[in-house]
Amino acid sequence: MLKKRLIPVLLLQNGMLVRSEAFSIHQIIGNPIIEVQRFNQWNVDELIYLDISRSDDYDLRREDGKVRGLKDPLVILEEVSKTCFMPLTWGGRIRTIDDMRQRFLRGADKITINTAAVETPELITQAAKIFGSQAVVVCIDAKRYEGGSPEVFIDGGRTATGMSPEGWAKKAEGFGAGEILLQSIDRDGMGNGYDLGMIRSVSEAVSIPVIALGGIGAYGQYADGIKAGASAAAAANIWHFKELSDMGGKRALSKSGVNIRM
Amino acid sequence: MKFCSRCMYPSMAATPLTFDDKGVCSGCRVAGQKKVIDWKGRFQMLKKLTDEYRAKNNYDILIPVSGGKDSYYQAHIASKELGLKVLLVTYHGNNYLPEGEYNLARMRELFDCDHIVVKPGVDVLIKMNRIGFKLQGDMNWHNHCGIFTVPIQEAVRHKVPLMMWGEHGFMDMGGMYSYSDFVEFTAKTRLEHGLRGYDWHDFTDEGLEKLGRSELKEGLRPKDLLWAQYPPDEEIASVGVRGIYLSNYLDWDGTKNAELVTKLYGWRAAQQPFERTYRSFSNLDDMHENGIHDYLKFVKFGYGRASDHASKDIRAGVMTREKGIEMVRKYDHVKPRRDLERWLKYVNMTEEEFDAICDTFRDPRAWRIEGGQWVKDDIWGGSSAYGPVHLKCPQRAKFMREENYGRTKK
Repeated sequence: MLKKRLIPVLLLQNGMLVRSEAFSIHQIIGNPIIEVQRFNQWNVDELIYLDISRSDDYDLRREDGKVRGLKDPLVILEEVSKTCFMPLTWGGRIRTIDDMRQRFLRGADKITINTAAVETPELITQAAKIFGSQAVVVCIDAKRYEGGSPEVFIDGGRTATGMSPEGWAKKAEGFGAGEILLQSIDRDGMGNGYDLGMIRSVSEAVSIPVIALGGIGAYGQYADGIKAGASAAAAANIWHFKELSDMGGKRALSKSGVNIRM
Repeated sequence: MKFCSRCMYPSMAATPLTFDDKGVCSGCRVAGQKKVIDWKGRFQMLKKLTDEYRAKNNYDILIPVSGGKDSYYQAHIASKELGLKVLLVTYHGNNYLPEGEYNLARMRELFDCDHIVVKPGVDVLIKMNRIGFKLQGDMNWHNHCGIFTVPIQEAVRHKVPLMMWGEHGFMDMGGMYSYSDFVEFTAKTRLEHGLRGYDWHDFTDEGLEKLGRSELKEGLRPKDLLWAQYPPDEEIASVGVRGIYLSNYLDWDGTKNAELVTKLYGWRAAQQPFERTYRSFSNLDDMHENGIHDYLKFVKFGYGRASDHASKDIRAGVMTREKGIEMVRKYDHVKPRRDLERWLKYVNMTEEEFDAICDTFRDPRAWRIEGGQWVKDDIWGGSSAYGPVHLKCPQRAKFMREENYGRTKK
């Protein structure tokens, strides 16, 4: 049986890595490179890097450190690729096939699209044809209102689409997506665990791998996502809180009986 | 330049900040969380956590200390409130104030603990001062490195898994994390935020050559910097070393800590006022920390320790913003004569050389050149000149107004 994966997600906002809450509060936690060096030392399974910037200003804020002069997302990607020897998925601000090509050329192994996939689903098919399905990840951001069922949002959580995550995931699979990155907006940064109902219904709706994201506040919660049907457990903030966070997460998964590469 | 509307932090700060739509910085926002936290519950969590680390035949906890007000407070909590057997560990960078030495020496009399003080050779430290200053505009880099390395080395060596730091500096000042994160010490924090991405090997001859800065070589070898070498992950994992921050478990307030330990233990603040800040109870472990080291922050980013201290006091509700601005006007720009002269002698450098190197670290996000003077925006409105430019012509270009830093016009 295929091993499950544990995946860190780094959020890039205007040139710096940030901690995120509910897609709206962001706190700067560091430059885009040094954390990747650590993940590399730990031999992390895979890395997802999402550029959540809403403007074109990328700035490290200071130039007296060893990492300097990164003012362009593609240059940042190049630097990340030089540092990173694990499979790398790059997402955010990708609108066209050419945007994808630019990122593959600079070392991304997969790309992930969200808003563009909803607006132009044919883009998924086209991308899958050119780069292969395995390299095309469709990212789904969904928000669940109290007691209701989740709805897919685009534009960084700002625009509702009226679609259900499982319905959209099934369509995306049909268009040729190789993987679904399923993120809960309302659980982002809350630390209360994944939206398990959503993970279950999306995993049941598709046969491609689903990566669960959003809500992890303790390593013990990773396994719940896998048990709900996800092929991989992903998280962003928690990777920055404690030392050896890869080992901590994997130990917890293994303890819960999940088959993982230690 | 933008300044926080509540405290006084500039958008271009050494601690990276974000601002909300009301112009309030992330540091203020996170400080605001402290008012709604159940601190009694948090202290119970600390008790439970430390209980799990009580050892039969070893130290229960390791506390990195400088001998300052916060060190005393940490030792007080661990030893007196929690009843733990404490191992204190200190990095001694050779620049203690006499009051700092006095406070440090008394800790093992007061807290029923053993105390390891690591003092690197002075010749190596002087070389580290010079390289740090020229390479990254921070002569006290060795201090950050020692403080963030020696305690972990000792934790591994003596197999003490639990370390207890005081406050998380970047969280406290800049709001880097939230109180719900219970953030702990990491090698990444040390390397990126403590040491700005440089590590000990960058200071050896071989390392400087690799950086393309051969002219800075001072003959340092790996064996001169054993105290600066962070233990490998495997060693840390085998002991299970973790470093918690006391500020996640107690309503941390530096001013109150100072009052408490003065009252309980006769802890001493600096007798002579500092040149660059109004506070007399911070940084007694290194006379240059509030002096040259902090002047370099002003050189780089256009603000200094008075902004830090006043912002903390504003957040704690013991100072008005108006009074804070007054402190900034009085202190932030001061070139610390007493401290500078001591340091130049210590490292054998002229003031001309010092000024010229300083200017290579000015950040164009904060500074511009007008009429041969360094000019920056002021928190009280408008902008002022802060002394002559020592840069050569080609290096001046990026500071000229027309082609100023920021968005490149397409």
